[in-house]
Amino acid sequence: MTEAVHQFVGDAEQSDDLTMMAIQYIRQQSDVRLRKSIVLPNDTQEVPRLNDFVAEVCEAVGLDSLVTMQVKLAIEEAVVNVMKYAYPQGTRGDVTVEAVSNDVRLKFTIIDSGKPFDPTVLPEVDTTLSAKDRRIGGLGIHIVRQFMDSINYERNGNLNILTIRKNLTIINKQ
Amino acid sequence: MKTTIQEQDGNMVAYLEGSLDTSTAPETEKAMRPLYECEGKNIIFDCADLTYISSAGLRIFLDVLKTAEGKGGHVYIKNVTDAVRTIFTITGFSNIFEFK
Repeated sequence: MTEAVHQFVGDAEQSDDLTMMAIQYIRQQSDVRLRKSIVLPNDTQEVPRLNDFVAEVCEAVGLDSLVTMQVKLAIEEAVVNVMKYAYPQGTRGDVTVEAVSNDVRLKFTIIDSGKPFDPTVLPEVDTTLSAKDRRIGGLGIHIVRQFMDSINYERNGNLNILTIRKNLTIINKQ
Repeated sequence: MKTTIQEQDGNMVAYLEGSLDTSTAPETEKAMRPLYECEGKNIIFDCADLTYISSAGLRIFLDVLKTAEGKGGHVYIKNVTDAVRTIFTITGFSNIFEFK
């Protein structure tokens, strides 16, 4: 960058000071209030352990029982999806759920090393259909979208990384 | 999760107690089998003590409803808590079930 400035100035006489300042942004981790994680096998009988984990996280963050139930449900739906479909049938595989919160946000990261799968591109379910036309598929991701504030999918190497966030400031204002 | 089925005033009443999640859905579905075989009777899900229901549980409700409607019966949901009601609402299940 210094070189570029010199090139631009050329032979012109310097009439004022030039200052260059480089800033590196190191993200502060000090505002993290909570960090907790659990590793579960791809067995849906482990769901009560998952739900207990999420309930503990919600309690630590100070969520009320209604929001806790909604967050529990959203995370169950997302994790069960991984447990059922990420790994070939009969193959053991793990799913890691990490919860991190600061004052404004509660973030869950769900990680597995199964086949690439992006649940965020699933079409929205039509909740206005009559009983005979209703299908249960897609309801899980619909629940996540409804009860949480954002959902992001990323494939990193051989990992599926699903990040689901709940905005805490909105809840506190309600 | 505990499921009790009783015949009451000509209706089949299923009392659901606890958390109907992915892990308890298979046993609950088994316990509800009598509901699939009741010809022409109305079915009532008493949800006073149902604390939680995931899509695995909703699937059972929907299956029972489809079967009952096919035989001309009605399915009612009774005593649902406010928290569980939010799940019925956001999934649109509140539109397809009759609440008492």
